[in-house]
Amino acid sequence: MLGPGVAWYLGVSAFLFSIGALGVLLRRNPLIVLLSLEIMLNGANLALIAFSRHAGNGAGQIFALAVMAVAASEVCVGLGLVVAIHRRRLELDVDRLSELRG
Amino acid sequence: MTAGAWLCLFAPLAGTLVITLGGARIPRDGAGWISTTSVFVAFAGAAWSFFGLRAHGSENGVVSTAWTWLQGGNFKVGLSVFVDPLSTMMMLIVSGVGGLIVLYSIGYMDGDDEERRYFAYMSLFVFSMLLLVEGGNLLLLLAGWGMVGLSSYLLIGFWHERESAVAAAKKAFVMNAFGDATMALALFILIVHTGSLSFASAFSNAPLLSSTTVNFVALGLLGGAVAKSAQFPLHTWLPDAMEGPTPVSALIHAATMVTAGVYLIARTHAIFEAARTIELIAAGTGALTLLMAGLIALVQTDIKRVIAYSTMSQIGYMFLGAGVGAYANGMFHLMTHAFFKALLFMAAGIVIHALSGEQDIRKMRGMAQALPWTRWAFLAGSLALVGLPPFSGFFSKDSIIAAALHDHWYGVILAVAALAGAFLTGLYTFRLYFIVFGRSDGPAPHTHGHGEGPRTMLLPVGILSVLAVIGGWIQFSPFWHPLTNWLEPAARTLGVAEPTNAQEAIASIAAVVLGLAGIGVAWALYGARRRSVPRLQLLQRALEHKFYFDELYDALFYKPAAAIANLSRRDVEEGFVLAAGPDIGETAFDAGRGVRRLQTGLLRTYVFFLGTGMAVLAIVFLLAK
Repeated sequence: MLGPGVAWYLGVSAFLFSIGALGVLLRRNPLIVLLSLEIMLNGANLALIAFSRHAGNGAGQIFALAVMAVAASEVCVGLGLVVAIHRRRLELDVDRLSELRG
Repeated sequence: MTAGAWLCLFAPLAGTLVITLGGARIPRDGAGWISTTSVFVAFAGAAWSFFGLRAHGSENGVVSTAWTWLQGGNFKVGLSVFVDPLSTMMMLIVSGVGGLIVLYSIGYMDGDDEERRYFAYMSLFVFSMLLLVEGGNLLLLLAGWGMVGLSSYLLIGFWHERESAVAAAKKAFVMNAFGDATMALALFILIVHTGSLSFASAFSNAPLLSSTTVNFVALGLLGGAVAKSAQFPLHTWLPDAMEGPTPVSALIHAATMVTAGVYLIARTHAIFEAARTIELIAAGTGALTLLMAGLIALVQTDIKRVIAYSTMSQIGYMFLGAGVGAYANGMFHLMTHAFFKALLFMAAGIVIHALSGEQDIRKMRGMAQALPWTRWAFLAGSLALVGLPPFSGFFSKDSIIAAALHDHWYGVILAVAALAGAFLTGLYTFRLYFIVFGRSDGPAPHTHGHGEGPRTMLLPVGILSVLAVIGGWIQFSPFWHPLTNWLEPAARTLGVAEPTNAQEAIASIAAVVLGLAGIGVAWALYGARRRSVPRLQLLQRALEHKFYFDELYDALFYKPAAAIANLSRRDVEEGFVLAAGPDIGETAFDAGRGVRRLQTGLLRTYVFFLGTGMAVLAIVFLLAK
């Protein structure tokens, strides 16, 4: 098998996931949060495809496709929410959406 | 014949149902007539079964079962009536005297606010008593027993806005419930050992049971009889029961309820004979009660209470008679007592009625002018009660004393007690008579102008006056005794209780002389007032407090129970249970307040906790691997 070993791919995948996770945790703009979520998902996808290659089995790639489909629909809903928030002239700040506070 | 018994049993119940369901659709005075009719229909039924029984000659009794009422395994109880000489005699007394009393009530209760309720209860009372005497097995007897207690509770507390009436009703009910409980226990023992509650099997098996068992059964039955018949030591409810309307007192004392104990002993005599000690205890209880009640009656100032204590005393005679084995004599006295005691109560009721509810005899002197007929009726009843010939009490009471005389040394003690009781009877009865009807120095008490009452009140009094005079002539031992012969198949008099002619004569003469002596003393003290009433402070106070039984029971049962209840209220209820509720709630609130801080509503913190949790789990799994 050519190219770097699976560990490298996993490293990159973990890096992407961490960046995404930090983005979700730290940023307050919902757009950026959605974006970070995408990065997390793609980190996970990368890991799936790396393992797929490593194991010589196509199932991981199919799984990655499914994740993309879910991600696309999730972005649709998320962006829709963002637009809705904007239309109601609310501030685009996830910390202000704290109706569920006990 | 059995149809008559069923009619007798259910006619009064039908009366109750009609009055209850009819409600306001029945006119006020209609309720009284419905009730009276129903009880007299019952009397007709009783007469039907009486003559049927005579005609068929089936003296050993006929059980007629309508259907199986209860069934459990081999144990079966039918809804049945038992027609035999004993039950028909009781049916006749209960429905006959009961009917007269209900008729009397029509006049007495006229204008009361709740006449309909009163008459519904009256019919129910008669039904309960008929169920008791007709019930074809011991369980039905117990059912009737309990229902008599219930009806008496309802009627004693009839004037429910009067606090003392409610208290008296409760007292009667609790004391009777105690008797019901001991009786139920006796029946349980009987079921365990014989597997049946039918009279036939219970009585044929009684001699086969071990002596401990049969003693316990007899003791339980005696407990029931003592409670219902207001004998020592469960007698304290009876005088308080005078809180009910006067006809109710008459019904309780003459026709229903208190006679049940005597009936029970006669009915279950096979069991009592197998437990002869217990039977003699019953006789002793009767002797003790008749003396005690006679003494207490001497100092009572409430006209009804004096008569109530005299009932207690006379029931004591019946217990004595039944206890020594002279069941027929006990039942005979029960019958004559029903006549003259109902008469006395009704006559007293007329006096009370005429004085608009006054019951204190000290305010009654000189009623003879105002109520001449009542005076003669009361006199007839009093003479019958004292037992002077030819009044009915003479025939029945003296035969009991004679029967006691025949039985060993304790029989003599019982007879002496009974004779002392005869003296007391003369004294307290005529104390009452002379105080109420004796000549008056001052102005006669103000009567309220309605004379001696309506005809519905006078008619029963007249009939009972006649019965009180001649009712005893049916049997004059040793010359003729149809009653003993009639009851022989149901409750045969024991050999030890069959007195010789000499004993009969001694008992009769002694009782009459002592009764006359009592009357004489009463005349000297209260009639002519030749002598002042002797002052015996201590004794008098003891008697006025009814030998401190109420105080004793108060100290023994009520006070400890109340103390325990108060203690547990203060320390357990208020100290612990009530405080625990808010404490638990407060703790939950505190916990909630703490946990609430975690719910920030910030998505980021949720994600953080989620992620951290996942990481921790992953690390744990990896390390555990």
